[in-house]
Amino acid sequence: MQVDTTSKSPSQGILRSALDAILIPFLAILTAVILGGIIIAVVRGNPFLAYYGLIQGSFGSAKALSETAVWATPYIFAGLAVALAFKGGLFNIGAEGQLALGAVFSALIGYALPEWLGRDIPLIIHLPLTIIIGMAAGAFWAAIVGFLKAYTGGHEVINTIMMNYIALNTISYLLNGPMKDRDPNNVIARTPLIADSARMPAIFEGFRIHWGFVLALLIALLVWWILNKTTLGFEIRTVGSNPDAAKYAGINVKRTIIITMTLSGMLAGMAGALEVTGLNFRHELGFSIGYGFDAIAIALLGKSHPLGVVLASILFAAMRNGATRMQFLTQLPVDLISVLQALILLFVAADAIIRYIYRIKSKGERVVLTRGWGG
Amino acid sequence: MKKLYTLLAVLLVAAMLLPACAPAEADCSSEDVFCVGLVTDVGKINDKSFNQSAWEGVQRAEKELGAKVQYIETADSKDYDKNIATFADENYDVIVTVGFGMGEATVKAAGLYPNVKFIGVDQFQAAETPGVVGLNFPEDNAGFLVGALASMMSESHKIGAVCGTDAVPPVWRFGEGYKAGAAYADGMMGSTTEVFVVYHSDVGFDKTFTDPEWGAATAKSMMDQGADAIFGCGGITGNGAITAAAQAGKYAIGVDTDQYLTLPEAAPRMLSSAMKLITPGVFDLIKLAKEGNFPVGNYFGAAGYAPFHDLDSEVPAEVKAEMEKINAGLLDGSIKTNVPPVKPE
Repeated sequence: MQVDTTSKSPSQGILRSALDAILIPFLAILTAVILGGIIIAVVRGNPFLAYYGLIQGSFGSAKALSETAVWATPYIFAGLAVALAFKGGLFNIGAEGQLALGAVFSALIGYALPEWLGRDIPLIIHLPLTIIIGMAAGAFWAAIVGFLKAYTGGHEVINTIMMNYIALNTISYLLNGPMKDRDPNNVIARTPLIADSARMPAIFEGFRIHWGFVLALLIALLVWWILNKTTLGFEIRTVGSNPDAAKYAGINVKRTIIITMTLSGMLAGMAGALEVTGLNFRHELGFSIGYGFDAIAIALLGKSHPLGVVLASILFAAMRNGATRMQFLTQLPVDLISVLQALILLFVAADAIIRYIYRIKSKGERVVLTRGWGG
Repeated sequence: MKKLYTLLAVLLVAAMLLPACAPAEADCSSEDVFCVGLVTDVGKINDKSFNQSAWEGVQRAEKELGAKVQYIETADSKDYDKNIATFADENYDVIVTVGFGMGEATVKAAGLYPNVKFIGVDQFQAAETPGVVGLNFPEDNAGFLVGALASMMSESHKIGAVCGTDAVPPVWRFGEGYKAGAAYADGMMGSTTEVFVVYHSDVGFDKTFTDPEWGAATAKSMMDQGADAIFGCGGITGNGAITAAAQAGKYAIGVDTDQYLTLPEAAPRMLSSAMKLITPGVFDLIKLAKEGNFPVGNYFGAAGYAPFHDLDSEVPAEVKAEMEKINAGLLDGSIKTNVPPVKPE
């Protein structure tokens, strides 16, 4: 089969550029899967059975699909949060804290608002409000970092890490203290259940997949539209690729940095809010551990493109979800999934390895994650 | 590029052949096949603690009852329901869920899968749910055993216990059992032992089991008053006390499982541990399930004390003999701790 590389017809051009964009991640995944299979064989497992279990457990039944979507939902939001910041030249390591903060504030509005008002609230008001407050909490937390970056030059990597600690410890205090479930039998650090009026209706009865997944796909589309079709998106991308040129072109760089961080935090907060309103109906200490950090990996794998983020999220979700079935069939430790994920990321990040193995010429285009210190 | 496409084609074929590699599984829905699955709490199967002990009970069922056994390690509490369902959907007969944290998920699953029998390790059932039995342990007996041991081994005739809050009934039973055990040994030996038992009830639930500094400081103050054996009962707080006692060269006594294995820094001075015998408890319940006599509500397993390990040569033969006698007495009911289930108001 010979691929015609001289064709210049526009539709084929788009197809080719799309193919090029997913080629490296795809080959990275493929290489990781093969290498992972070798590792499984070395520890005396059956790689074919393991992968069969992984696929069956993530896509093999209605229930499996539903659970994969459940896992993918926060990944998509948090992945978009990190990807959007990447586009703006910012490295948001703080998604973890923003997400948890969003979850806590959603839960608070979810269970406490009817008590404060002393009456029931219709779902049409309560549910959106609950989600919006969660988004606002994440947005606020990230906006502080954006502000510090814009006006003091404080690097967002350091500040988001710091803000993570503040957020997570504050949440630990809240869940153990003022916001703790008052049920006398409860010894777990968690909030009470949120009111029915703050819960997202189920899509299919008996399955845990919720409207948050559909919302995630819509938001991914929205983020793509904002980035590529609006002035704001243009400003974000320009500041991301070259702030000096952006400034020269008359873009308010400080404002754009703050907006980028705010939007990023808003997406992360939404991830948390939807976990509360769509899935758990409360926030529990430790329920969201690691999502914000997985999100960085997802944004990298998805090349910071919204569609890429969705695909990468589904891949990560499938691996996390299918791991149970894999373990059931093979009794291999679930940690193998982390090894697989790490291998995929290694090959995506160090794409020179992939290009060398598969003899692919570099297009000279590089993913810019964040522009170094003091930028 | 051409090579690449060939490779992809080969892989595609391989992927299509994948399902063919799945082995023929024993069918758990069949009457003749008895299947037991275990779901760990967030943690590993070889944690040298609850998960591992429970799994050893399941493995014993494999050997002695011919059960088909399998485990799933939980990586994220979000997966509790799914991990239990993985076994239930395969028509497993018995599912063991380990740890207090899985209690709610276990009760919920029992409603969805009425044909499955659930064993909840350390899950006290406040209300009965058909198909669920909580495996609990007489902590007072365990405390009694190590209290008697500490009393017999103490040269200063002063011993201590550093525990979590007495608002948690099992913790209170450990501490009161310890006192009762020391008094029993005194009665036998004609000695008078002073027993210090301190509960960390001055702080909230978030802190009471996770305060090793307080545990160590409390143990030190007991040792300053002459105590030469310290029982740590209460999670990481207790571990702090155990480690402090071991570092001071006194006798350290662990709790729940054989902590000689889990607290290497205290191992050289670890006299014993007040143990919940999870392995036989799990096995007995599985056996009852197989025989069709599965109980409901709460089932009480046995308590015991861990081997003396490194200090075996320091423990006199008569003490060893006494300990075996006390243990037998507690098991057959001829010795009673007289500790009520909960702290009287």
